[in-house]
Order: sequence, then C-alpha cells, then structure tokens
Amino acid sequence: MSWVQAILLARGLSRGWGGICGAALTGAPFSQVLPQALRGLHCSTATHNSEMSLVPHPPEPPKKPIKAPAPHEELFRQEPGGERDKASFVRAVQNFGQYNVRKRGHVDFIYLALRKMREYGVERDLTVYNLLLDIFPKEVFRPRSVIQRIFLHYPRQQECGIAVLEQMENHGVMPNKETEFLLIQIFGRKSYPMLKYLRMRLWLTRFKNINPFPVPRDLPQDPVDLAKLGLRHIEPDLSARITVYQMPLSDDLTGTEDPIQPHIVGIQSPDQQAALAHHNPARPVFVEGPFSLWLRSKCVYYHILRADLLPPEERKVEKIPEEWNLYYPMQLDLDYGRSGWDDYEFDIDEVEEGPIFAMCMAGAHDQATLAKWIQGLQETNPALAQIPVIFRLAGSTGELLTSSGLEEPPRPLCEVQEEDDDHRKQQQQGRS
Amino acid sequence: MSGCALFLRRAATAARACPALVALSASRRPLSTSRPSRAFAKELFLGKIEKKRVFPFPEVSQDELNEINQFVGPVEKFFNEEVDSQKIDREGKIPDDTLEKLKSLGLFGMQVPEEYGGLGLSNTMYARLGEIISLDGSITVTLAAHQAIGLKGIILVGTEEQKANYLPRLASGEHMAAFCLTEPASGSDAASIQTRATLSEDKKHYILNGSKVWITNGGLANIFTVFAKTEVVDSDGSVKDKMTAFIVERDFGGVTNGKPEDKLGIRGSNTCEVHFENTKVPVENVLGEVGGGFKVAMNILNSGRFSMGSAVAGMLKKLIELTADYACTRKQFNKRLSEFGLIQEKFALMAQKAYVMESMAYLTAGMLDQPELPDCSVEAAMVKVFSSESAWQCVSEALQILGGSGYMKDYPYERMLRDARILLIFEGTNEILRMFIALTGLQHAGRILTERIHELKRGNVTTIMETVGRRIRDSLGRTMDLGLTGNLGVVHPSLGESANKLEENVYYFGRTVENLLLRFGKTIVEEQLVLKRVANVLINLYGMVAVLSRASRSIRIGLRNHDHEILLANMFCTEAYVQNLFSLSQLDKDAPENLDEQIKKVSREILEQRTYICAHPLERTS
Repeated sequence: MSWVQAILLARGLSRGWGGICGAALTGAPFSQVLPQALRGLHCSTATHNSEMSLVPHPPEPPKKPIKAPAPHEELFRQEPGGERDKASFVRAVQNFGQYNVRKRGHVDFIYLALRKMREYGVERDLTVYNLLLDIFPKEVFRPRSVIQRIFLHYPRQQECGIAVLEQMENHGVMPNKETEFLLIQIFGRKSYPMLKYLRMRLWLTRFKNINPFPVPRDLPQDPVDLAKLGLRHIEPDLSARITVYQMPLSDDLTGTEDPIQPHIVGIQSPDQQAALAHHNPARPVFVEGPFSLWLRSKCVYYHILRADLLPPEERKVEKIPEEWNLYYPMQLDLDYGRSGWDDYEFDIDEVEEGPIFAMCMAGAHDQATLAKWIQGLQETNPALAQIPVIFRLAGSTGELLTSSGLEEPPRPLCEVQEEDDDHRKQQQQGRS
Repeated sequence: MSGCALFLRRAATAARACPALVALSASRRPLSTSRPSRAFAKELFLGKIEKKRVFPFPEVSQDELNEINQFVGPVEKFFNEEVDSQKIDREGKIPDDTLEKLKSLGLFGMQVPEEYGGLGLSNTMYARLGEIISLDGSITVTLAAHQAIGLKGIILVGTEEQKANYLPRLASGEHMAAFCLTEPASGSDAASIQTRATLSEDKKHYILNGSKVWITNGGLANIFTVFAKTEVVDSDGSVKDKMTAFIVERDFGGVTNGKPEDKLGIRGSNTCEVHFENTKVPVENVLGEVGGGFKVAMNILNSGRFSMGSAVAGMLKKLIELTADYACTRKQFNKRLSEFGLIQEKFALMAQKAYVMESMAYLTAGMLDQPELPDCSVEAAMVKVFSSESAWQCVSEALQILGGSGYMKDYPYERMLRDARILLIFEGTNEILRMFIALTGLQHAGRILTERIHELKRGNVTTIMETVGRRIRDSLGRTMDLGLTGNLGVVHPSLGESANKLEENVYYFGRTVENLLLRFGKTIVEEQLVLKRVANVLINLYGMVAVLSRASRSIRIGLRNHDHEILLANMFCTEAYVQNLFSLSQLDKDAPENLDEQIKKVSREILEQRTYICAHPLERTS
C-alpha cells in the first residue's frame, strides 16, 4: 500500500470518525494541548473535537477571579440608555468590520460575539449567525492542494466555524442555503464546518419534531395560562375540561409577593368524572402532591385526586348484557378462542394503579387552597360530597407556603427528611 | 303431511319450469324431507350450496300473477300521473289528497291479513308493489315505517284481540303507525334505552315515560309500537330491567311530538321526536311477552329488510329510462352521448345492478313465502346491503350522465341522490348489517366445526393429515363440483362457466371460514375488518346464486330477452368472482394484500390527536 493511499485512508477515517474520536477524547489533557501546539503548522492532524470547539462558558468565577477583558470587548460596551437588541448587536458586528479592515482577530471576535448573543436575545436568529460567519475572510481558508485537503487546514478557523454551527444547533436554529454558501466560500466544500453543516441538515430536521408532546417556545407569563398549558400537557384525554376554580387576586397593599387568593386551575375528563361518580363512598380518595412538571425552563407543581386500587374481590366484572345489540351478536357462542399463531399480545406484567379522578395546579400548595379545589369539584361531581377526602401533601406546608412564585422549586428534601415527611403525612391525614 | 303438500306444490312449480327438473326433485325430495332444510346463506359458510332452496327460482302461480297485475296497474298510473315528487320534496310534506288516494288504493295494509281488512299480500307480491311505490322516496319511507315496522309487531306477535282491535283501522289508513325504538343515547344499543314503563299499583296500567328520536311518521301516527324498559322478576328471583314492547295509542294521553326534522333526503316523510309523559298503557297492550321486547324488536327489524331490494330495483329501472332518453338525444361533437364508451359503461352498470338486486330480492321473497317459515334474516340483510350501496352508486352515475344538469334542482336526479343516501343508514346501517351477516354465519359454521377444530387443536394426527392433504390438493387447483352443472345440473349450460366460478368461490369460502375460525375462534367478533370481508364475499356469492338461478329459469321457460339476462348474469359472476378471489386472498394470514395493520395504525394515530396529522406540503424545516 503506497503512502498516498494510507494518507487518504487516514483522512477518510478522521473525517468519518471525527465525532466519535472527539467525544472520546473530551477531557483528555493532551487533546487540549495538541491543537494549540500545532496551530501554526496549518496541517494539524488533530481530529475535530466537538466538545472542545464549544464556546467556553463565559462566567467561571472560581477559576478566574480577575478576568482580563477579552479583545474587542469595547465593541459590545453599552452606551448609556442603549437597548440590547438585534439592531445594536448587528451594529457591533458591522463596527468590527469597519474598524478592522484586515479582520485581524476575527476568530476571537466571533467567539466573543457568540457569548454575547444571549444577552442581546439573538441566539435564535439565523440571520445573525450568517452575519457572524460572514466575518470570516472568503477564499483564504480553502484548501488548495491535495496535502491541504488531506489534513485539517486552518484548524483554529475551522473550529471557530464549527463553534458557530454548534451554537446554532444548541438553540435549534436550522442553517439555510445562505449558511451553506458562506461555508463553501470560506472553508470549501470538503471541510469540517461543511461536514457539520451537512449533519445538521440531516439530523436537526429529524430531532426538531421528535417530541410528541411539544411545548411552545414562549411560555405564557400568566400563572393561570401556564397552569392551563401544563394541565393540558399532562392530560391525555382531549375531551377533558379545564376549569378555573379561583382567579388569582393579589392584595394591593402587600404587593404581588403574597397573593391573598392563589389561583386554582383544575382539569377533569368525562371518563374521570364517570369513574368518580361510581366510586364507592366507603373508600377515601386522596389529594396528593405537589408533583413537579418542567415546561422548558419553568417548573410547575400539580396535585392529583386519586383513589387506591380496588381489592380484587370488590372489582366488578364487566359482563356482556344478554340483550344488548339489536342488530348483531356481540359474542359468539363457541368454546374455542384465538390460536397461538394469531395472538400478538405480549405477556406484560402491568403494574395496576388506582384511578386518578382529577388534577389541579394551584398558586399555593396548602390544604386550605386544595380544599377549595375539592369544593369546586363537588359542583360537577356531586358524588364527591359523600366521599371522604384525605390530604397527603408532601413537605411541610410552611415550607411550601414560603415559595410563592411558581419558578421557585421547593427546597430539595434529602432522604431522611422524606422519611420524616411520611410519618408526618400520616399524622396529618384528616377528613376534609 | 305438510312436507308432502310442500313436495307437491314444489314439484308443480318445477314442472312448469323445466321437465327435467321434475325427475330430479322427485328423485331427491323423499330422501331429504326427513331433515329440516337449512337456511341457504348459513350453509355457504360451510362451503356448501343448499341447492333446493334456491333452484329453481321461486315462481308465483298464474292466479297470483294476475291478481298482482290488477293491483300494479292503477298504482303505477297513480304514481306516474298524480304524485308530484318535486313538490313533496320542496314542501317537505306529502299532500293530504295523495295520502287519501294511497289509503283508498289499499297501500296502507299491504301485508295485513285479509280478515283484518288488508290486502294480505305475500312477501313476493309486497316486493312487487314496492317496486312501484319506490318511484317516490318519501312515500316509500312513510309507508314502510307504517307497515314494515310500525304495525309489523302486531301482525307478528299480537294477540287476537290486539289484531282485531288495531289492524283494521291501520290497514285502511284511518290510523297511521310508527315504530319507536331509537333514543338519543341508544341507536343499536338496547341496554342504554332510557324510556321506562312502570306497572301502576292496580296492575292494570303501565306508566310510560321517556323520549324517542327520529321517529318516522312520529307527527302523523296514532298508533305507536314503543319499546321501554320494565322491571321483570327473573327465574332466579332477581329483579332485572328488560325491554318490553307496547302498543300505545295517541289517545292514551301524554304523547307529544316535536317539530319535523329538516333532513337531507326523503324530505316529505315526517320524522320527529316523540315524548311520552306518564302515558297510561293498559296491560293488554303489551306486545308479546313482558320482558320479551328485545326479541320482538329484532324480529320486526329482520323481517322488513328484504323489500328494499325490489324497491331500489324499481327506482333504478325508472332511472335507466330517464337517463337513456337523455343519452340518446343529447349530442356532443356530432355524436350522441350514447355512442361514448364511458356513457355506455354506466348503463351497463345500472342494468347489472338492477338485475342482481331484483334477483336477490325476489329469491329472498320467494324463500320467505315458503310455508315452513324459514329464517331468512341473513339473506334479507344481504339484499339490503347490496341494494342500498348499488342505489347510491347508480344514482350517482346516472347524475353523472346528465353532467351539470344532473346537479340542478330542475331535474329529479339530485333529489334521488339525496333520497338514496338514507338507504345506507336506516334499518340498520350497512356496517352493522355486515357484522350481522358475517357473525350469524360464523356462529352457525363454528358450532358445526367445533368437533373438527377441537381435534385439530388437540393434534389429532388423522385430522391434521386430512387437512394438510386437502390443502395440498387445493393448492394444485382442482375443479370444484358442487353439482350445479353437468347432466343433472340445475344451471343452464350457457351459464356453466359462471356456475363453476361460483362453485370454486363457495368451496374456498368454506375453507377460509374454517381457517378463520381456527385462527380467531370466538374472538373473531373483534376482527371487524375480517368480518367485513366475509360479509362482502357472502353478499357476492348470494348475488351470483340469485342471478344464476333466475337466468337459468328465464332460459328454460323462454322469457323475452333472456340472452340479455345471460349477458348480465355472466358479467356479474365474473366481476364478483374476481372480487371474491381478492377478498379471500386478503383473508389469508399475512397476505400482502391485507393492509389491516396499516389501516388500524393510521386511524389510531389520527384518533389520538383527533386531527389530520401530516405537515402541510408547503411546510419547511429551515
């Protein structure tokens, strides 16, 4: 095998396996050092490392107590009264191009700009990313010879290009034709940013809609709307009805911090309503919670109204009534069933759980608030008036009451505390 | 004794049909009289053709024919000259004078026995008259609601007193009848009926409370057959809710009705809600037994269906006349429409469908008229399914021949299209009837095959070897001979090939049914897509049998244009044969033609989200 073939093979391998090797090499000290040592050579064989090329997270206070200002920081300096928006970001980028005709230090600037994007709220804007890519000088980094093409040509610049794409990927921004055009102009068709681009074109589309329960990107700010959204998100039955049992009322004197009347939003499907109507009043139902539900970066808490699973002897066997269907027999009078060849049922041990009758989200997680929910439920479920309701609320009520905002999660309880809580819960059980 | 009388009668009929047959039936009949003859359709499930049920095609005597022609003449004249269907449709009401004339023609008591003042028509004659009445959809439905279901209960299970009390007035049309079964929460689900009848303290009355919806003739009727829940003490002493049928007069009090519903078609018929509020019904007015209402309802529903075949055939024949007129006069590109192949195709389709459903309807009517009172509910349901679907298809094609004119209200076609749509829905939707057809047959076959299937499941070597051997022989392709053709055959040689196709289909249908029962057992109830195919095959088979029987008779007695009948019969048999082969192959396990799993998955995904879930074609990902 001639050495040319060997090199070609190596190149192919490095390209194909780059991602995997990069991931494997993450954190290894030499991978950090190697590209830097070879940077001047422009022919680094270091494989592309996706983790490495990530934009370093800006604030790491313990490591760097005194942070030297990054180059070009002044371009993003805030003039007094200036808004941080897309226009000012674009202006900063344009200023870089104007003051720096030779584009000296453009890689540093791009990294800086990537870090700043979130502050300016443009991290989801494709045109801004294209603008950033546009800073790269064109045609300069394109490999021109076979040797250049085999090895990583201008690794630092390519890594920077990948960093831009990486950040796009993290924010779910799909690159377009313009991005492709820019990348070809800057790095050429056979380059790592281009490879990254192609992979993004393939996979981002697949992953974009992979969540069967999509959450809107901008969550409603109003807690009632947020609760409605959250409840719809949990409830699989589309005929379920959402009821706002209580609108939030805040005391003007104390401000919004301590609402005198927290909101209560509940959801119940017709099936749940029917199940509750048939519930044996001798058996109690439980209000349990709060359970957390994450909607993007927000955490909301919900409570459920549920009952224990009926013991087998009390379960009613669904019998096919004798005279049911006027038109055709509902069952055949034969003594043989399905043959094994046509039995596609898997043998699954299903954990049976008790029925859930309703769910709610409330502004406060104390028993008084939840009792109001139960009162509201009684209007549509008259049977509930006869059924004892037991409140099993996790965490002491005091703790939960202090966390007034929805965003604030309740204090994490360690194992011992939870044990403790269980005891307390049992003591707290009382009839509504 | 009755068997002997039957034999004579049948033999006499056959003698007219074909001398050769006399020998045949004479030689076979004595052997089979001991065994009760089985329902025809159910035997098909076992891969057998119960020949003597369907061959020869049933005939009426000359006297009966003369009698019916006497009726037909004036009725036809009346419908052609005096009934203004367009006006009935537009005004949503049948004019009083038209109703009076219908009454005077005796059409309100066609099947009421003569001793109660009705015409006492046999099923065949009733079907014949239905052909003419069907020229107006609203009148057909009004009359059918009156006598096919409304008063049918009294004829079927009424006591002598009830019959004497109600039938004369109903037959004369003095009173109209309505059938009150459907409720807002109960279509075919008898268990969810809410109307309730409670026995009064003196045990002389039932107090009836509840509401019924979509009652045809609800606003006009004076006599209602009402189904309600009553408390019945069971044999083991427990109290149960069971359905009971009542005859309720409007004069009992507490009967009100809503305003007529605004409908798509049959707009002249009166359909409305009927409410019963503390209506006192005397105990004598219980129809059938207390707690036996379910059976009564089932019998009434099952008995009324066969007549749709002849009614639709009558309508189609009229439709062919109308459209043929148009096609032969309208010119495009200097050619008459009738010269275009695509138009000709539509006429052939209409003629074929009309021929098949007519054959099916009269064959079923003939079977029903046999003195041994066989259960022909499956056959009747097949007639109903076939005729209603053909009606929809043919009216649509007829409208297509007219093109734009067909869409206009000036022509009758759009009205006929609207009227025809109800046929697929009422008297049991076609989906439900398909379940009925398939399940009734499978129940019958399943019982008979129980022993065999048990042996196969136990692993009886002889049975398994026999089955395997038969499969191998089947796969090599052998000619089936179920005795329809050949020297002693009942089918005329010019239809021989079609008869062979039928025999092959029937044989493989029997095999498939056995296979299905082996695979699914009693859980086949849940396999609705399989059942639909079984029903479709059976309907086709019945259609084939009917046309073969009728066409053979036509040739043998030399009816006019019997060569045309042979054409139609052969055409239908070939088409049905191919359809059956396809359906049967779909019923095979893991057949590539079988898309059931995909169908179920698609619908599941849609129904989970309750919407069409594909992205818009213009959508982009970037």
